[in-house]
Amino acid sequence: MKLGDQFRFVRQNMKKNKTRLFMTVLATAMGCAFLIVLASVGFGLQQSIVDNIVGDRLVTGIDIYSKDPSKFKEDTNLYDADIKDLQAIPNVKAVTYRNFIGQWMEPTIDGEPVTGDRTFQVDFQAEERAGFSLSAGRMPQKNNEVILGYNIRQQRDDQGVPSEYKDASEWLNKTIVLNVGYYENGVLKKKPIEAVVAGISAKPTKEWKMDQALYVGVDLLGQVESITGTQRGELPYVEEGSTPEQIEELLKQLPAPGGDRNYIEVQVIAGHANDVKGISEVLREKGYFNHSIADELKQVNLMFLIMKIGLIFVGTIAVIIASIGIFNTMTMAVTERAQDIGIMKAIGAHPSVIRKIFLLESALIGIMGAVIGTIVSYGISFAVNAGLPVLIQTFMEEKVPDGFLFSVIPPYLTALACAIALGVAMLSGYRPALRATRIDVLRALRRDV
Amino acid sequence: MIELANVSHQFIIGKKGKERVVPVLHDIDLKVAKGEIVAIVGRSGSGKSTLLNLMSGYIRPSAGEIKIGGRDVTKLSEGEWADFRLANYGFIFQSFQLIGSMTAYENVELPLVLKGITGAERKQRVMRLMEQIGIAEYGGHYPSELSGGQQQRVSVARSLILEPPIVLADEPSGSLDSENEKTLLTMIQQLNHEMGITFVIITHDEQVASIAHRAIRLQDGKLVHQSDYRQVAAHDEQHRSVAGVDYIRQGGERE
Repeated sequence: MKLGDQFRFVRQNMKKNKTRLFMTVLATAMGCAFLIVLASVGFGLQQSIVDNIVGDRLVTGIDIYSKDPSKFKEDTNLYDADIKDLQAIPNVKAVTYRNFIGQWMEPTIDGEPVTGDRTFQVDFQAEERAGFSLSAGRMPQKNNEVILGYNIRQQRDDQGVPSEYKDASEWLNKTIVLNVGYYENGVLKKKPIEAVVAGISAKPTKEWKMDQALYVGVDLLGQVESITGTQRGELPYVEEGSTPEQIEELLKQLPAPGGDRNYIEVQVIAGHANDVKGISEVLREKGYFNHSIADELKQVNLMFLIMKIGLIFVGTIAVIIASIGIFNTMTMAVTERAQDIGIMKAIGAHPSVIRKIFLLESALIGIMGAVIGTIVSYGISFAVNAGLPVLIQTFMEEKVPDGFLFSVIPPYLTALACAIALGVAMLSGYRPALRATRIDVLRALRRDV
Repeated sequence: MIELANVSHQFIIGKKGKERVVPVLHDIDLKVAKGEIVAIVGRSGSGKSTLLNLMSGYIRPSAGEIKIGGRDVTKLSEGEWADFRLANYGFIFQSFQLIGSMTAYENVELPLVLKGITGAERKQRVMRLMEQIGIAEYGGHYPSELSGGQQQRVSVARSLILEPPIVLADEPSGSLDSENEKTLLTMIQQLNHEMGITFVIITHDEQVASIAHRAIRLQDGKLVHQSDYRQVAAHDEQHRSVAGVDYIRQGGERE
């Protein structure tokens, strides 16, 4: 018997008792939806907690120290090509780095000197993707825009005790003048570059740490280098009384600007905490020394894994309860159709054909239930994510963090739920189907023996 | 075509531990030749239905051997029997045994569906046969919308759709009036004559038995007479007073 004909038989059979079919599909759909929604809470919490609470740069960042000396004997420094190489690794969201500028440049704002401790050149776009947090202002978008460290207006005394905090955001949108030092004919001269303060970095999470850095973009570094004629704006250490020729000689020893810069504090930011492990392995293969604290977050994920398995287990029980309905329906169907089955067997229907028809029917009930259940659970998930924050805010007067999701349905959860629903439907339909094949022809035909 | 050698059958009835063995058939030896119409007659409880059930494979003999078309079918599994039935038999039942939820067309089509024949060929074969048997116009009707005669014709069409070499009929005219009975018998004779189909018919109807080339009489599970129909009728006439029941004349008593 061809599959198309089997489907036709099943359709005909299903039409005989639509109410019963509807109730059975409804029960299966409810079971399936319950399973998906329940498990989706586990997935939602994991995503929200891992991504929003521990899933920040602290977890997704992988520090690259250097290249493995056993693989790269000559030079273990990281250069432009390495940065590009790192960016090309799958699931990498951004590659950030810090590049020291070789001089402080004595910046001033409104004539007041800015007393930071170092100038970094960073890739602002990569920093933005990596989640560089600001306490005020915005990330630089144009040339000659800079970011100031949160503690840039504080100073330490001789004992290293910081002075009282002065709000750096007062300097927001003001012009900062960078006085770039350079040698001309053996004489140290200053050339000002004007830039705008676009943002102030976030307060360091460790209270003993102070961010007194000045962050500039690659464009400003280019300008500095073109003034000094050295890489990263570095100036030579000049002893007193040196002749212009000696100074010229010292300058020549420094690397030329625009050459292959080497990068420090390189960090690879993974798109997701789950990707960190995989990226770390790729990095190790490629010969980069790296470390990530996500390596130590295995327990958190294990906890969520156990939670999800538990929820799926509880949800599966709902599907199993629904399967009693399928069993009942199929048993009734076999009983009702005993005579038809008997006739078919009498004229030569193979028992396997009968079994297949009934299994197909229970599979179809399972599929219909799973499809409806999935659609409903997506609806419920959407409604919960949209409605629950509003309810919490209204009645509990607590604000739910942005992007916090109570329920997330990953595609593989849907696939798993559908597979469970279908499997349980087939299992519960198997016994009735077997019973159908065992129907006694003579009894079904009500003939004398 | 059909050979039964020393076939016996017994039923075991009663609850476990208190079973009782009821012998139904004893040492039946029977041969049905290709193209023959054989009627099996006998009183109620004589074992004629059991004999047909054994030939159909619905039950297995307790002893003896059954060969159909030279093949020993005694030990076929249920699945093998199903395939064998589909390939070799057509069935006509007393109460038609049409599937109520299927139209006349779908009922006739059923053996082709089971055989896995699809598409235009299937449609063509069903339409042609339904026209031959004169039920083409009832194709879309459900069995409940058809008269007894029409239903039996649908049942005949279903039995013939795969052009089987053998048709087994169990009281084929049992639910028909005399006119429909006559039509059915003519059809059987015609099919036998034109297509050479072998018919084994269970009946206690004189009319039906009269079209048979040979009649077999069963009594208490034993084959007591094998002859052409006229001899059987004469035998029955002789034993009528002894048996006390004129089952052929009265015709109304059912198996």
